[in-house]
Amino acid sequence: MTFNCIQIEDVSKRYKGADKDSLKKVSLSIQTGDVYGVLGPNGAGKTTLISILCGIIEASDGHVVYRDNNEEVNFKGIQPKIGFVPQEYALYQELTPVQNLEYFGALYNLSKEKIAARTTEILAVLGLSRVANDRVETFSGGMKRRVNLAIGIIHEPSILFLDEPTVGVDVQSKVAILKFLNQLNQAGTTIIYTSHHLSEAQDFCNRIALIDQGEIIMKGNIDELLSTHAAEDLKALFIQFTGEEYRD
Amino acid sequence: MFKLWVAIKKEFRILMYDKAGLAVMFGMPLLLVYVITIIQDSAFKIVNENKISILIVNKDKGAEGQKLVELMQASGLFELSQKDSVQNVKQTMQKEDYLTSLVIADNFTEKLTEKALLVSSTMMTELGLEEPTNMPKKIKLPALDFYHDPVLQENYCFSIMSMVDAFLKSIEGELFINQMCKQLELTESPQQLKDAMIENRVPINRIPATASDSTKLPNSTQHNVPAWTIFAMFFMVVSLGNNIVKERLNGSFIRLKTMPTSFALVLGAKMLLYLGAAVAQVALVFSSAILTFPLLGLPELTLPSNQLGFIFIVLLSGLAAVSYAMLVGTMARTQEQAHGFGSMSIVILAAIGGIWVPSFVMPDYMQTISLISPLNWCLQGFYVLFLKGGTWAALQPVVLGLGLFITTCLGIAFLKLKKDKII
Repeated sequence: MTFNCIQIEDVSKRYKGADKDSLKKVSLSIQTGDVYGVLGPNGAGKTTLISILCGIIEASDGHVVYRDNNEEVNFKGIQPKIGFVPQEYALYQELTPVQNLEYFGALYNLSKEKIAARTTEILAVLGLSRVANDRVETFSGGMKRRVNLAIGIIHEPSILFLDEPTVGVDVQSKVAILKFLNQLNQAGTTIIYTSHHLSEAQDFCNRIALIDQGEIIMKGNIDELLSTHAAEDLKALFIQFTGEEYRD
Repeated sequence: MFKLWVAIKKEFRILMYDKAGLAVMFGMPLLLVYVITIIQDSAFKIVNENKISILIVNKDKGAEGQKLVELMQASGLFELSQKDSVQNVKQTMQKEDYLTSLVIADNFTEKLTEKALLVSSTMMTELGLEEPTNMPKKIKLPALDFYHDPVLQENYCFSIMSMVDAFLKSIEGELFINQMCKQLELTESPQQLKDAMIENRVPINRIPATASDSTKLPNSTQHNVPAWTIFAMFFMVVSLGNNIVKERLNGSFIRLKTMPTSFALVLGAKMLLYLGAAVAQVALVFSSAILTFPLLGLPELTLPSNQLGFIFIVLLSGLAAVSYAMLVGTMARTQEQAHGFGSMSIVILAAIGGIWVPSFVMPDYMQTISLISPLNWCLQGFYVLFLKGGTWAALQPVVLGLGLFITTCLGIAFLKLKKDKII
């Protein structure tokens, strides 16, 4: 059974001291089982939106409704079931992947045994078993990204937020990460992700929202959007709606 | 509990990884305690111990110069090195490392005897026992030259001169009595009179104003061991401050906001780990001092009798250091800021707080300024324990001061984190 696990209604955000909104009355519905891409140029408001959804910042206006088992819950109610993978390596590079997962797993209220079992499982899937006890600081960018991802899913979240999860990684790591995310999605995890890689998003997502200057300019099923706007691919659609001007 | 334990374990692993931070936290206080205690020990001895090392150059041709030397020797206050003549006293002092020197003039006995004769003759004349003589009305007495190293404090020099002056009065008194007896044609000086006049004096009882009966006086060990341990405790601002800034900047704190956990637990784990590190610093430095200082000829460190009070002050000092580091860590925007401001502020607070040089030797206004330093309050806590009997009542101002400091630091840190929407 699918249902809207996240309902965003007229959410706006203006940062302190800013003279304009970073998000303007954004409304979206994310269904269970979605791989939802939040796409847009630099400064469009993608990270702001995902930060509001994860409880990192508060919306200035509007509200977000979360549903668990099709029952409305507040953020505290959904919090144990969400995973967040930030764009930065939000981990301890002085520690090993096992030690990082032990720490974050405990903070997700997992038991010692559960942490040990999940650590072995995730590191194997992400190809990190061999370096499980090496310090993260010795890893390549792609390996660090995979550890960053592993931390976000140690507790088997039902909703996973990913902010540019494949930035700065080699092709092999990117393929491994996306393959793993597809497996998670097939196992029932709802994924909300931001990316600059439109071809990647086209392959990976089933639905997208295109944000520009804090406003949703388009949202829906990718195939339907391409067909409706007679666009060859997401890149063409993107340029068609956002133009070719720099967005520095 | 498992969460807290894992969080502490993670902090411990990060601390263990920071080899430079560990060296600063544990190596630096050990090094400083040994070096500074050895350097300051002689200075403390000058102030605290009875023996004052002095070079005596006795040029006197009579007996009274030697008597002065003997009185100084007999007093037990001086460690004398005597020479009959020295070409250049200043050069000899510098060459042979003397801090003080007393030069007795060659006509010392002669002139003192003349003075005694003048005084006794005047008295005999006044009493009508002798005819007036044509003696001069005043004898020009020879001066004693007291040389001292310019680094010696004024009050220390005055103390030595006052002691010598007291001996001179004793010699002059005895000479006067002898002369009186001679003029009265008494064959022997009545010892009873001498004793009555010279020996029988008003005693001065020296009573240390401690809360208990303890008569311990500050020495280099009792100052330096706690002082440099406190300095090292507060220097953890470099390690803990950096740790907090780093986690804030790398996004770990942001990640925590998305997790079903209390931020207080994460900060609590940091505080507990670093408080443990502070206790370990105390254990290391104090045990090293207890075990090795006597072997190096340094004053022994004996722990205070109020052991519970000692543990309490150690924990309170550690918590003050941790709270300060938390404050710097939350206020600093970059690791460089935390490192630079943190270390500089501790060096300054240590200097004005009496860590390098005890505040009791500072000028009055500096002693007042030293009260703004939390390191001074911690040190005062240890002084109360080591030197003043360490009663809970005596510890009260220290506990209140440090309690206020800890509350203020943590309060500001909390407000800053709240303002930054981290908690």
